[in-house]
Amino acid sequence: MPLPVLDPAVIATLRQLTPPGEPDVLSEVLGLFLSDAPGRMTRLRTAWRDGDAVAVQRSAHSLKGSAGNIGAIAMLAVCKELDEQDRAGDLAAMTPLVASLDAEYAKVAAEIQRLIKPSEEIRRSGE
Amino acid sequence: MPFLRVLVADDEPVSRTVVGAMLKKAGYDVTFAADGRQAWRQLSAANPPSIALLDWEMPGLAGPEVVERIRARGEQAPTYVILLTSRDSSADIVTGLKAGANDYVTKPANEDELVARVNVGARVVELQTALAERVRSLEEALATVRALQTLLPMCAYCKAIRNDQNYWEKVETYFHDHSGVSFSHSYCPTCYDRFVKPQLDALDEVTQAQRRQQEK
Repeated sequence: MPLPVLDPAVIATLRQLTPPGEPDVLSEVLGLFLSDAPGRMTRLRTAWRDGDAVAVQRSAHSLKGSAGNIGAIAMLAVCKELDEQDRAGDLAAMTPLVASLDAEYAKVAAEIQRLIKPSEEIRRSGE
Repeated sequence: MPFLRVLVADDEPVSRTVVGAMLKKAGYDVTFAADGRQAWRQLSAANPPSIALLDWEMPGLAGPEVVERIRARGEQAPTYVILLTSRDSSADIVTGLKAGANDYVTKPANEDELVARVNVGARVVELQTALAERVRSLEEALATVRALQTLLPMCAYCKAIRNDQNYWEKVETYFHDHSGVSFSHSYCPTCYDRFVKPQLDALDEVTQAQRRQQEK
């Protein structure tokens, strides 16, 4: 059985952080990920194209933080590998990792869309 | 400790929001900064947050640099600093603690651990605030004592001292009231010769005169 895209335990933790009567923390955090991560993904790809290993590491490092916070298990693993790869400064070794980061990010984004949609429909129907 | 203000500084909005939500749920008053410079601005303003959670890597000023700036001020009740880091090598942790951080939490933060560590910070802040208040009141008391020592109006003849309410008090009463010192009364050799001996001699004379009278 493949690992879930988003760790259910992390999602459950985020879900219970919402104080009574306040906007849903889980939706807020997932929404933030969707608006913040694409820019960092773009910067990482640009840095990789430019052969700037330090900048690739910096973007991978910040994406690692975001991915970890939403429990994106596979994406987190790739970010970690990229973050550590750079210390050897081997740009060629980064190539397959950048490709798999793209793939993992796409899965995470799709999963978030799936998770956010029903809650927004519920909110709309409740209005 | 409710309503204690905590600053969460992280350039990643996802981490910042998650950490902030965990602390709000635990009853803290949370403020945010999106980079090191914003964090420093909040921490150097009047009435700064008591606890700061600083991301290690931020644009502008990194977490350890912000800590160094805070520590350089040398306050009596300084901000309690926790570094947020995804670095977990002990060399990095030592660097952060040497820079002056009180503690560190690895990212992504575990809710229970994060809140427990911030609660420790709240206890330290509480103790330091109480201690600083105690030092302040002791310094105030010391200043009063010094003022008393500087100028004390005393009667040149009977040595009575004029107190703050403009009453003349005996030296022993005044010092007893102001410093808790108690006096036991005695006499020095000079005063023995000057006052006590003449009185004893006079008494002796009276006694002898009486005896002579009885013998008659």
